[in-house]
Amino acid sequence: MLKLAIGGILCFISAYLGIIGKSYYDKRYRYLSDFNDFLLLLIDGISYAKDRLPEITKKYIASSKGEFSRNLNNYIVVIESTQEKEKISKCFDSKYLKKIDKAYLSEFFTALGKFDYDTQLSRLNLCKAEMEKTLIKAEKDCKSTGNLLSKLGLLLGIAIMIILA
Amino acid sequence: MERLLSKLLPLSIYNELYKVCNFNELSEIRLRVGKPVYYSLIGRYQKLGGEMFVSSGEIGEILSRATKSSLYAYNTNIVDGYITYDGGIRIGITGEGVMKGGSLCAVKNITSLCIRIPHYIEIHDRRIDNIIKNFRNTLIISKPGYGKTTLLRYMIRRLSEEGYNVLVLDERGELSGISDGKQTINLGDCTDVALGIPKISAYASQVRSMRPDIIATDEIFGEKEIECIADCVRCGVKIIATVHSDDPASLKRSRVYSKLLDNIGYMVSIVGIGNIDKVIDIRQ
Repeated sequence: MLKLAIGGILCFISAYLGIIGKSYYDKRYRYLSDFNDFLLLLIDGISYAKDRLPEITKKYIASSKGEFSRNLNNYIVVIESTQEKEKISKCFDSKYLKKIDKAYLSEFFTALGKFDYDTQLSRLNLCKAEMEKTLIKAEKDCKSTGNLLSKLGLLLGIAIMIILA
Repeated sequence: MERLLSKLLPLSIYNELYKVCNFNELSEIRLRVGKPVYYSLIGRYQKLGGEMFVSSGEIGEILSRATKSSLYAYNTNIVDGYITYDGGIRIGITGEGVMKGGSLCAVKNITSLCIRIPHYIEIHDRRIDNIIKNFRNTLIISKPGYGKTTLLRYMIRRLSEEGYNVLVLDERGELSGISDGKQTINLGDCTDVALGIPKISAYASQVRSMRPDIIATDEIFGEKEIECIADCVRCGVKIIATVHSDDPASLKRSRVYSKLLDNIGYMVSIVGIGNIDKVIDIRQ
């Protein structure tokens, strides 16, 4: 009976770890997808009315929830007081992002708003094209690796329970 | 104004300014890379702090704050040599020009900033009261920095209070101090502001669309604008404007500006900071 109970607990833990693994990929995809939405809003705002960065950002934050939105809020507070790259980078230091994502976002937000109209728009469009590829890959990771992890967790848990029983 | 300057200036410069000057009297701050900061209190320039020299990083920081980290929205202004910050603060810019196809397309390595702080002052002068009561086209003249714009702001508000529909052509955002759609300087209830619209096109389009009684504008410059003013006067719209000039006589001698005087009723000449010298009734 004790073995069965321990097996059950281990099965639960293993399945839970699998779900956490899947949620990492889900949240990474959601984060990057939110960033992509923000990018589209930026391109619209800049190309039509040359809206300023804080206006566009506040508009986005008002209509969106989630970690990216919170990080963006911190970013606006930071750029109003300083232009230090380190502080800007820290704003996007999410645990759901890979090192390469963090480096990309840090570079993007440090340079944002420091170019003339034409250069800024062409950089944003370039970034949009890159993000489309990144998003496809993140979605694929989410579906393949994420689902695999959750299934593996569950299977491993059941296997442990069977062995213990 | 103190709050706006605290948001605009790097902390070290703001703190030094805070120690030594009354922000209500502060009219100008000049920053040059590698040189000390100079500020002007009622027209008198003074050096700020003994060992404080401006770095290019500080100039960049001010520009970044002034443009709200959105340089792309200000490129045209920078090429024209200025950025307008909140509250009508105008930042004059100079640096190294970047040419493209024979015309200036950008300014890089910005080395000098001239931050001009607007003021709204009640002006108690019988001659100005008289102009307001019997309003005719009015031209305010003086050297730069003597208070033309301050007098113009006061007169706009007074004319608005008298019930005139005043249209302010505020290409540089200096007269109205509009920031994010909110007017920070009260120019009266009957005042409309055409902000950031090039004056030459605003004269024609806004006269038709807004039907003003009076058009107010700062710093008339060049023949084209004088022609636009003549057209507006012909349409029955009155004008109040400022122009840089040493004295009324030099304006009369100028081939271009003497044409402007054909349409003017009063000329107000300012000598010294805020010191109204003469009010000339041109018709007499």
